[in-house]
Amino acid sequence: MDYAIQQILNALSFGAEYALIALGLAIVFSIMGLVNFAHGEVIAFGGYSMVIIGTVLTGNPFILMGAVLIACVLVSVLLERVAFRTVRKADLTTGLLTAFGVSIILQNAFLLLGSPRPIPATQFIFLDRTVLVGSIQVSSLQIYETVATALAIVALMIFLRRSTLGLAMRAAALDFEMVRLCGLRANRVIATAFAVSGLLAGLACIFIMARRGAVSPHMGFDPVLTAFVACVIGGFGSLPGAVLGGFLLGAVEVGVLVLLPQSYGSLAHAAVFALVALILVWRPDGILSPAKEKGDKI
Amino acid sequence: MNPSQRRGLLGSALLSLLVLLIVGAYYLWGETWQARVLYATFVNLLVVIGLQVFTGNANLTNFSHAAFMGIAAYAAAICVTPVAMKAISLPDAPWGLNAFELGPWTSALVALGITGGLGLLTGVFVARLTGVGVTIVSIAILVIVHSIFLHRTDIFKGNQALFGIPKVLDLPQITALVIIAIFAARWFRESRFGLQLRACADDEIGARAMGVNVFRTRLIAWVLGTLFFAVAGIAYAFFLGTISARPFYFNFVFLTVAMLILGGLRSVSGAVFGTLLISIGLETIRWLETGPQIAGLKLPQMLGLSGLMLGVVIVAVMALLPSGLMGNLEIEDLLRRRKRAETPEPR
Amino acid sequence: MLEISNLRVTHGPIEAVHGIDISVPAGTCVALLGANGAGKTSTLSAITGTAKSTGTIRLEGEDISALPVEARVKRGIALSPEGRRVFYNLSVRENLVMGAAIRKDKAAIAEEVDHWFTRFPILGERRDQPAGTLSGGEQQMLAIARALMSRPRILLLDEPSLGLAPQIVERIFEMIRELRSQGVTILLVEQNATAAIGLSDHVYVLNNGLVSSQGRAADYGNGAELMDQITGVHG
Repeated sequence: MDYAIQQILNALSFGAEYALIALGLAIVFSIMGLVNFAHGEVIAFGGYSMVIIGTVLTGNPFILMGAVLIACVLVSVLLERVAFRTVRKADLTTGLLTAFGVSIILQNAFLLLGSPRPIPATQFIFLDRTVLVGSIQVSSLQIYETVATALAIVALMIFLRRSTLGLAMRAAALDFEMVRLCGLRANRVIATAFAVSGLLAGLACIFIMARRGAVSPHMGFDPVLTAFVACVIGGFGSLPGAVLGGFLLGAVEVGVLVLLPQSYGSLAHAAVFALVALILVWRPDGILSPAKEKGDKI
Repeated sequence: MNPSQRRGLLGSALLSLLVLLIVGAYYLWGETWQARVLYATFVNLLVVIGLQVFTGNANLTNFSHAAFMGIAAYAAAICVTPVAMKAISLPDAPWGLNAFELGPWTSALVALGITGGLGLLTGVFVARLTGVGVTIVSIAILVIVHSIFLHRTDIFKGNQALFGIPKVLDLPQITALVIIAIFAARWFRESRFGLQLRACADDEIGARAMGVNVFRTRLIAWVLGTLFFAVAGIAYAFFLGTISARPFYFNFVFLTVAMLILGGLRSVSGAVFGTLLISIGLETIRWLETGPQIAGLKLPQMLGLSGLMLGVVIVAVMALLPSGLMGNLEIEDLLRRRKRAETPEPR
Repeated sequence: MLEISNLRVTHGPIEAVHGIDISVPAGTCVALLGANGAGKTSTLSAITGTAKSTGTIRLEGEDISALPVEARVKRGIALSPEGRRVFYNLSVRENLVMGAAIRKDKAAIAEEVDHWFTRFPILGERRDQPAGTLSGGEQQMLAIARALMSRPRILLLDEPSLGLAPQIVERIFEMIRELRSQGVTILLVEQNATAAIGLSDHVYVLNNGLVSSQGRAADYGNGAELMDQITGVHG
């Protein structure tokens, strides 16, 4: 019983991390059709900012958390401005390759200016303690992660339903030109999307840093690759799909680890990707893909 | 043979001449260590030409080529390595993999067969998908194959080196392979299938309406592409003597994709030019990375500079030159244009 | 209100409108009629800024032809587009709120949304349903209401009757007539010449990207002749 609850919590916290990152990808994709693979480097940038601010200014973890969030938002918006604006109207492949290019540039910039080896930054480690809930030993970080993700999703939903910009972001996923015809500036809507995406990346960064306690140039790549799979499973561009896909992947990964013998642990990744390939062949638009508009004049 | 294929022969001959000139220059003036660089460039060239076959003609981005290359490299290596050597390098290999050895030709054929078979199997799925779906499934193939390489250390040694592969090929042989590849890719591009693929890339519904069997043409191009990757993988293993899983992953994928898009993915000449340009550029940057002395000035070591420049090339090409240096043009189109420009127009 | 002179509209290499002059005085309804491909929608796209054009477009004397789409909306141009283009995934209420995106007066916006719900009870009943579930006619009403939510100086209506059943078309035209009587300035693009002439003060007929005739609506009679000319059907 204890074991089962621990594993469920494991799956939830894995899933929460994937869902956070997947949401960040899906928000940008739904609005401008860009698969933003540089999202992982936004997370890594958050980590490096933490290292710098942590050594130069203050070690206070709560100030650092704020700094990580701000850094991720800023760099995300900046990337849109300098790299993705030029390919805004281009096709998917062009955008995808550009994003990969940006991702490589940032990874190597971290390598060049930082170090190929992990740099320790342990200020958030305190989040990860073993606590007793009833008679069960659980990790406090996993609880924080699950709760924070749930809160972030609720906040995002409120933002998307109540604020004009939120409405505009949902509307833009369908018909960007019509949103402009309602008087909203395209740049503003897209910048907001990148800002929200960066905020979610910052949140994910805090939890990743709490778990790893160190930054390295490639730390964002693998989580984003998995989150990308989550988006695909949920239907690219669908926000509920991204959340669902994220938690599903968390469950699959923990399931593979629990059900298969220990020696197969390294194949968890392969299992996840095999799953996504099968789902794509079965339903090319994903499980929860948004309804497509048929291009009729009427 | 149709007229465009006949013109393709001219273009392929010109590209081959370029390749031969480079090899000739090496034999005249090159230093021994440069043979390795040149060989690696030609392996990349085989891969990029293979990418052009599917990605270029169908305009569907494929990221799985490193996986197929790796499969072929490992298959050929395991077959060709002598039993005595495998007793040391692969002591725990299952299914008697370390208890047999084949000649280089048979090994290459086995590797081609395995890779082609897997290409056909995956192609049946991939050819049904469109757009970004192809890219995603190709990434999935890449990740799955890489995970298996890392997981089955008893067969693939993971990130450690599988060593003791005899050196079978050298510069003359790979030059021949590259020239064959150029002719084959160009012939395919101008063939009925190549034309149909390019038509689908521009307007899939229109092409279907004209009676093009999209699934079949995509499948043919996909399998043909994997065969190119297989040849590249075999050539890689047959020269270096050791292989490991690491080179068959994302870094290599990005490198070759950057080569393809810089040259312009719609043309075989673009694939060749892109590969040569980036290879030259990277060699220069790698030299800078080690922190050389220039005019008595010791430059600092700059790890990551080559990767940085690669990313810059990708982003810059996508933003400023989305169809690459060559666009839709082949090498003979350039010459013709020149000719037309040289003859003064009557006024 | 709106003065257009020597307007040329291009879509890539193709020029769809070859230099036309149109004037929409304040408080009037002007109809822009013509067959498919005559350049009507291109003209509207040039006014909203979604298509490339040369020539001048003046709104109350100010040249807006260099402004981006959003800035023109802020200056008082609203479009109910061809094909309605309501946001299918947003609720009916949210669609109306989107229409008022340039306004800050939350209370007044809410009041106006309620006004539309009483004016069109069918929209009110479905205020929280996705707009994609509405019928074509209801979507058209929503599209016009959405355009009006920005409190525009001039309302551009692109083929509001397209693809709708005759009774529904009658209701849409009823709505436009009502707007006109309230003093809303309207530029109406239509293929249904008879109905459009009945609604308008002034008529422009577009033919192959040029104005082939124009005049007071009354001069076109019941529009039957024009209808033949546009549709090519001779009754």
